[in-house]
Amino acid sequence: MLVSRRKLVDVTLYYLALLFYLVLAVFPIYWMAMATLKDDYDLVDPDVSPFWFRRPLGLNHFTYLFTQTNFLVWLQNTFIIAACVLVITLAICIPGAYALARLRFLGAEQIGIGIFLTYLIPPSLLFLPLSQIVSAQLHLVNTKWALVLVYPTFTIPFCIWLLMGFFKRVPLEIEEAALVDGCNRLQAIVRVVLPVSVAGILTAAIFAFTLSMQDFIYALTFVSSSDEKPLTLGVPSELIRGDVFFWGELMAGALIAGLPVAAIYNFFLDYFVEGITGGAVK
Amino acid sequence: MVAPRAEQARARRLAAAAIPVRRRIDLGPDALLGYALLSPAALYMLGLVGYPFVLALYFSVSTVTVAAGPSHFVGLANFASLLDDPVFQRGLLNSLIFTSVSEAAKSILGIGLAFLLLRNLPGKKVIRGFLMLPWTLPISLSVLGWKWMFDPQFSVINYLGNQLGLLHNWNPDWLGDPTYAFLAVLVTNIWRGFPFAAVVVLAGLTSIPQDIFDAAKVDGAGFFTRWHYIITPMIAPILFIGMIFDVVFTLGDLTIVHLLTNGGPVNATDILPTLAFRNGILGGDLARGAATALFLFPVLFAGVIVFLRILRRREV
Repeated sequence: MLVSRRKLVDVTLYYLALLFYLVLAVFPIYWMAMATLKDDYDLVDPDVSPFWFRRPLGLNHFTYLFTQTNFLVWLQNTFIIAACVLVITLAICIPGAYALARLRFLGAEQIGIGIFLTYLIPPSLLFLPLSQIVSAQLHLVNTKWALVLVYPTFTIPFCIWLLMGFFKRVPLEIEEAALVDGCNRLQAIVRVVLPVSVAGILTAAIFAFTLSMQDFIYALTFVSSSDEKPLTLGVPSELIRGDVFFWGELMAGALIAGLPVAAIYNFFLDYFVEGITGGAVK
Repeated sequence: MVAPRAEQARARRLAAAAIPVRRRIDLGPDALLGYALLSPAALYMLGLVGYPFVLALYFSVSTVTVAAGPSHFVGLANFASLLDDPVFQRGLLNSLIFTSVSEAAKSILGIGLAFLLLRNLPGKKVIRGFLMLPWTLPISLSVLGWKWMFDPQFSVINYLGNQLGLLHNWNPDWLGDPTYAFLAVLVTNIWRGFPFAAVVVLAGLTSIPQDIFDAAKVDGAGFFTRWHYIITPMIAPILFIGMIFDVVFTLGDLTIVHLLTNGGPVNATDILPTLAFRNGILGGDLARGAATALFLFPVLFAGVIVFLRILRRREV
């Protein structure tokens, strides 16, 4: 009896603590979701409880978002940017990570650590010179291509370390077997190592995709015309006009764009942590 | 996952001991291929991180602006004039308080959550997914929800506070009052970052072999003894690295401040990145903007040093 009561208290406290964290984490998102469905007047009517509604709920904010704003253009831009960043990242990281994982040569480790350390230089230190490089030297000002060029600077260090971990786990024997069977090194990589590392490459690809959707500062600095903006800039910058906040549309845009990214990210979160802390545990 | 890693480490140590002291320097065909495969990554980072970084250093000691025109070397004049500027002083102080307070809060919340997630519970994956939302949502979008919650007239925080009898008809103007605005920015940042702290701590905790815990328990070690002698030393490297990253992200990120308060009211919530943006991009004074951002560098440099030390210790 005594034991079970103690256990009951223990379990209750445990779930109360968990509930606290859940409310903390989810309430703002729940609150955003509420705003997307409520009528504009309900949002600002002091007689209506913020937790309830008087005028009927509806999808007006969504319709407005899709028909009266540039939302679909931003969505398209986001996909184009992310897809290009993904291709650039993989094209650079797969060979680089293989070299770091398998080949012994002078300075390899130093170059690897150097690439990883660039992750510690935040965009706020680089955006000013980059804005000059992008506009004056590369003439990419005010286009999404500026972002395509710059986003790999934070996807490469991360993906190269992630892929390195995957390549190290490929048994050396199967590669050696391919070499014995008459492949040269490059053929062994393409025909043996890459096919067994598909899971890792896919993980890196998804990360390049989601990480490039987390940026705000570069988009804010490089892109000012609405047609070229990604979602992460378009939604916060264009749905607020002066002092007028389109709360319903803002929240709708934020959630439609954000939740899928969050879901994918969550699925691969452990790899993210491994990629970041990899230097410490491996 | 845990046991093999420990074994691997031991195997690696044994192998290292067996290798003759003189390191083999390989410049054969492997090396050529290695340089060829690694050079695109190295060149990309050199061109778009290394070069801009050097350019930032150059900007900060010059008079360069966005307007074309002659620029000349002024030494440390930009830094000196910044240090005399009360707006900059406020921004520097804000950055330091902002980062240290939110780092402490994130660590405490994160450690608590990590221990909760260490237990088995039904539907853990789904629950964890919800708990991670603050971190996994793009920040420039989720911050809009907070802007709505801090709305001067329709703040749900004030509504709830009054309904629960906590605020007693007091309706703080969260984003309009200097002190509350700073608090609002801080809360949003802590909310954003605590799940990340939790998963980093969790990764550290799960990397400790269970038999060490069991042995300690058998020997009669209580929670705090275990915390002090086992948990802290074993997860310290992971914690350090997680924290370095979070400090860098927090110090260097302007998104929350830019979208919540835009540094206002009257510079009360300005931090170095928002000042750098205003000086350099909106004001066109690249030299001053670059100098502002470079005040972040000592902290980053310290981060790099700690990171390298952890790496080196790992190798010994």
